[in-house]
Amino acid sequence: MALHPHEFMSKMVDRVCLTDADRNMLSSNATWGLQIAPEMADFFYAYMGRDAEMNAILHATEGRIHRLHETFIKWFHEMFVGIDNWGNNYADCRWHIGLIHVRIGIGPQHVVPAMATVIREVGNRCKQDQKSEELREALSKICMIDLAFIEQAYIEVSSNAVLQETGWTEGLFRRLITTGANAL
Amino acid sequence: MAINTEKLAHLLQEFVTVTADVQGAALVTPDGLPLASSLPGPMDEERVSAMSAAMLSLGERICKELARGIIDRIFVDGNEGYGILTSCGEDAVLLVLANRAAKQGVLMLEIKRALESIKPMLA
Repeated sequence: MALHPHEFMSKMVDRVCLTDADRNMLSSNATWGLQIAPEMADFFYAYMGRDAEMNAILHATEGRIHRLHETFIKWFHEMFVGIDNWGNNYADCRWHIGLIHVRIGIGPQHVVPAMATVIREVGNRCKQDQKSEELREALSKICMIDLAFIEQAYIEVSSNAVLQETGWTEGLFRRLITTGANAL
Repeated sequence: MAINTEKLAHLLQEFVTVTADVQGAALVTPDGLPLASSLPGPMDEERVSAMSAAMLSLGERICKELARGIIDRIFVDGNEGYGILTSCGEDAVLLVLANRAAKQGVLMLEIKRALESIKPMLA
């Protein structure tokens, strides 16, 4: 079940309707994005840290939380700058982030609500700094794409592990999911 | 040459009818799609097909991982009867269901014969 990050990115851009206007809005506010990124990282990890299981993962190795904090700032800023105009490099980078989340053990069940907190706080900062609603909307869209990458990484890694260990074909695996789901 | 599904279904039907203590049979693709079947009433063909393919594939993987060579068959021994999964070339898996009264030697021989008839039809 090999996911092609470039195709997935393109599909998600279409799905969430990330327009050129959204891209322009984000890139023209990149400095502001970098400025508020550390604060958003604080919100994100404060939320995650409230969960005992997540807190243990975040502090599993020395310096991990510090590194994650820095990565968040970079990631947050990249949503504004788009790396290569939200193209293939952006897609590869987001896919890589998704895989790291799987490796560390931070699942969608933790990231999605934490990200919702960030979006809310960004909304507050937008109002406070008199930024437009369009900016908040554009950021929500690119955030949705990034979250989709994280969720998809979990599905892909889990599926690939099952396929590798069982020797099942993709078709058979999908069929088992369908027949299993129908029986639930 | 196109696969004659009617002939396959007839062959399975006949196998189930004439072989002592056999209660059902199904021929499925390695992807778990049904090719032909003659199963006891309440069994869901789609589900049985997916499970059969999954089980044989897993058996093949176990054989490889545990250095047991090429898999011959998977034999499920339940208190209500037997389920035997046999590879039928690269393109199909044969599932045979039999009750507890079945003589295992006879059953294996009948399955072997059935496979000899089925394989040319899939070639």
